[in-house]
Amino acid sequence: MRRLGVLILLALSFGFAQKVHLMWSGAITGPTSDAGKYYAQGVEDYCKYANEEGLTGGLTIVCETRDDQYNNANTQRNFEEALERGDPAFLGYSTGGTLQLKPLIQEVGMTYIPASYHIGNIDPPNNDYVFLPIVSYSEQVIALLEYIAKEKPGAKVALAVHPSPFGRAPVPDAKKAAKELGIEIVEVQEMAKGLDYTATLKRFANKGVEYIVYQNVAGPVATMIKDAKRLGLNIKHAAAHYAGGPDLLRLAGDAAEGVIWVTSYYMPYEDAPGAELVKKLGKRYNRPADTLESVHYPSGMLAAAIAIEAIKRAHAAGKPVTGDAGRAAVYAEMLKLGFDPGLAVGPVTYTKDDHVGVDHMRVLEAKGGKFVPITEPFQSKLFRKVHYGK
Amino acid sequence: MRNPWAETGNYKTSYRQDTAIFATYLEMLSLWALVALLLVLPFFLKRPQVFVLDLILVYSLAVLGLNITTGYAGLINIGQAAFVGVGAYTAALLAPSLPFWLTVPIGGLAGAVAGGIVGIPSLRIKHLYLAIATLAFQIIFEWTVGHSTILKQGGAIAMPRVEFLGYKVGYKNHYYFWYYVILLVVVLLAFAFRNLLRTRYGRALVAVRDNDRAADAMGMHPGLTKIFAFALGGFYAGVAGALYAYLSRAVVIEDYMLPVSIKFLAMAIVGGLGSIVGSFLGPAFLVLLDLNMEDLANWLKSLGLSYAGVDIASAMRPLTFGLVIVLFLIFEPRGLANWWRLVRNFFRNWPFKY
Amino acid sequence: MSYLLQLLVSGLVVGSIYALAALGFVLIYKASRVINFAHGQFIAIGAFTVYALVVYLKLNVWLAFGLALLFTALVAFLVEKLFLKPLVGQPIISVIMVTIGLASLLDGLIHLTPFGGGNFSLPRFLPEGGVSFLGVSVSYPQLLAVLLTALFLAGFGWFFQRSTLGAAMRAVADDQMAAMSLGVSVEHVFALAWAAAGITAAAAGFIVGTVSGINLESLVAIGLKVFPAVILGGLDSIPGAVIGGIVIGILENLATGYLDPLVPGGGTAEVFPFVVLLLVLWFKPHGLFGTEEIERV
Repeated sequence: MRRLGVLILLALSFGFAQKVHLMWSGAITGPTSDAGKYYAQGVEDYCKYANEEGLTGGLTIVCETRDDQYNNANTQRNFEEALERGDPAFLGYSTGGTLQLKPLIQEVGMTYIPASYHIGNIDPPNNDYVFLPIVSYSEQVIALLEYIAKEKPGAKVALAVHPSPFGRAPVPDAKKAAKELGIEIVEVQEMAKGLDYTATLKRFANKGVEYIVYQNVAGPVATMIKDAKRLGLNIKHAAAHYAGGPDLLRLAGDAAEGVIWVTSYYMPYEDAPGAELVKKLGKRYNRPADTLESVHYPSGMLAAAIAIEAIKRAHAAGKPVTGDAGRAAVYAEMLKLGFDPGLAVGPVTYTKDDHVGVDHMRVLEAKGGKFVPITEPFQSKLFRKVHYGK
Repeated sequence: MRNPWAETGNYKTSYRQDTAIFATYLEMLSLWALVALLLVLPFFLKRPQVFVLDLILVYSLAVLGLNITTGYAGLINIGQAAFVGVGAYTAALLAPSLPFWLTVPIGGLAGAVAGGIVGIPSLRIKHLYLAIATLAFQIIFEWTVGHSTILKQGGAIAMPRVEFLGYKVGYKNHYYFWYYVILLVVVLLAFAFRNLLRTRYGRALVAVRDNDRAADAMGMHPGLTKIFAFALGGFYAGVAGALYAYLSRAVVIEDYMLPVSIKFLAMAIVGGLGSIVGSFLGPAFLVLLDLNMEDLANWLKSLGLSYAGVDIASAMRPLTFGLVIVLFLIFEPRGLANWWRLVRNFFRNWPFKY
Repeated sequence: MSYLLQLLVSGLVVGSIYALAALGFVLIYKASRVINFAHGQFIAIGAFTVYALVVYLKLNVWLAFGLALLFTALVAFLVEKLFLKPLVGQPIISVIMVTIGLASLLDGLIHLTPFGGGNFSLPRFLPEGGVSFLGVSVSYPQLLAVLLTALFLAGFGWFFQRSTLGAAMRAVADDQMAAMSLGVSVEHVFALAWAAAGITAAAAGFIVGTVSGINLESLVAIGLKVFPAVILGGLDSIPGAVIGGIVIGILENLATGYLDPLVPGGGTAEVFPFVVLLLVLWFKPHGLFGTEEIERV
């Protein structure tokens, strides 16, 4: 190990930058690609930026984004290729894929940063090496329920989720939290790829549903919101991270007025360093307007930033950054990581027991075609109580 | 038989000779040589390549089953992936309590039962309508899994790590271990497939395919035969599914959905419908094509030939897949096995020309 | 009561999209005995063409619609000439596989455009809101959907009954040999049937674009929903296709309305049409309006 470290330092001293590969595998096309497309662009752009601005501590980080079309077999193949190649960390995407890979991740000790914020990713078993960039879906949904309970105590809520592990992830915790908050979860509906959600909405309305909480991607949610408006239903919509965002506003138009959304990222039109970075990179790498407006662009950037920071620190400490030793070194750095790339409303902090990066989130509301924050960054204590029992 | 080592033409004089599995000693030897080669092959390959080999073998099993149902019995089955899925989920449910050498056959039996059930409509409907019925079963299977909490609603069910004779299979030798297991199963079932035609049941399948009313007149029950065809195809698929579950370490519904059924049909056609060699050539060809397309697309991307919002790899894969199917159907409808057959016939008559 | 009525009306709207798609499907089957597995891709091509023309070339919506109809018809026509003609006379498995291969091919081609992933919505060209009656609300896009379907139906009905070409197509569907002996170009008719199917598919895609967003996956899924519709209506019956489509649309809505609460997570609308398909195949395989095929020994 030491010899390898010396060799690396020697190589560096010759001005020959060591190449480290970093792979992202996710849905650029296929299901949930309306998020994955922009996420991939975020990863690519931040990588290029980090290399150009010297944020990589003398290494050359080669980022590769692969389209696995939300198919777990492809994700697994890509992961194994990255493993064989000696990558020190891996950027994942889908909930199903992450869950499937957990035993393998545990066995080989690969730092894994997924785009899926499912709490099950970092719950035992096999959870030592998975790190979430921001708060989990369960925490987001419970935060929304808390907000609803404050606004209207005893409200009737329906959950509309994506028909996959990603969608079902927060449901058990949400049900427990609702009981604590005194609000009623009337129904949990998995939203099929429908052309028309009239039947579902009418059913909700008949049961007196006042709020719909969405754990889905923006496309189907936009259709449902438009249908609700068309039917003239007096229902308020609340979206978790992937269900909302500027994409939702673009797709739903003015039907989205008043929709509330919870996330940890800054909006591109806010006065924050993260927003500036998004605009700068988008301009530098010629990204179209819909990329700049999407919240998945900074999401991808954050994941890449976390991995690159850990790799940089491992390298600065003189440790190897490729192969079995590289994985171990980068993992060690992850366990004590603390930094703030400015993309989210809080710093990224990890410890052995805390595998959630940015611990804070905000609630925003759609006003006049834009999401504006209506709370300060906060954490959800109820989530900790419901999920961990403390 | 004039010469037990080389045929040099067709000198068969009895029915028994015609249906012999090996026509000459040379044929038998070459097959044993092939098996020996396959046994040592993994030592020359890197781990990801062994994984690809394992995949090809497992797909070949499923395609062998499809060749029984669609090739021999002529029943178009657009739901083979569902049978594979039945085997896989059975194995996943039983794996925590039973060793793998039990769950795999049981997975096969589950696939056979599923096949039998899907075969029931064949008592009343035929041809195109039967094909559409298998499509409906595939969709219903997907939905049922997606809504069964015991099957994690389609999410990942992790397979436990396997222990064999006290030896735990870890990441490093996972693919190698399963290579030998899969190879053994494939060799056994391929022999069974080859042997099928010699038996009464196999001939009944072909008779029913060619003209089921005539077969009925001859005393075979076409409905039961068709159900048997589905069940047998389902058995092969179930075994393939159980093995695939262990191989990929987890069972997710996406691996058993309609696009995969279509892939199996394509592999059967490209390989050559009804042929045993085709059941291997088809999957090998399509899997290697897929991987090469991925490499090609990544290379194109690195050259900067991709443009905004488009991922070349996601275009190249379905494009080449569709193109290959269409070109084979137009120019070589009997599949790759036809080329093999031509080569074999050349050697059969060697050193004479005809 | 108004709940049921609302379900029926939304079912009618969704059903007319299925009906349009089924119409094209049956046209192809009637003329050339081919089951088109690539129909979903035709629908997608129609929808994305309208989107591209309206958003990138800034054309008027109706002009874009007309052009998309022509373009998709052309694509379907070429598909028939290039890929299906060489396979005339081949066993049914080959013909099925060729359309499956085509579906993949067209899918790949669509992935070469930016439309392979993501959601797109047509800019709005109809006024907001809709009409309300008897406690049921229908939006203008939905009204347009039903209207367009009715128009196409009427148009095709007139075409088949009154025009020479339509009569020729009916003749070929009935008995190819007899039609050929009377001087009808069977080749021509095949290609035309495919072109007509392309037109209806594009119309279906356009309607989906006005009613909700366009997304490749959901458009292709409509191509799959066509199967229950045509089996219910009868593979070779045009009115059957339309009625089958509408019934399936209504059944889906009824399932969501009444069956979903009984199943964890709901979503029965996905599977219900296929269960119906199996039941129809068991009890009445030729559908409601299909012609009985009698097998002679």
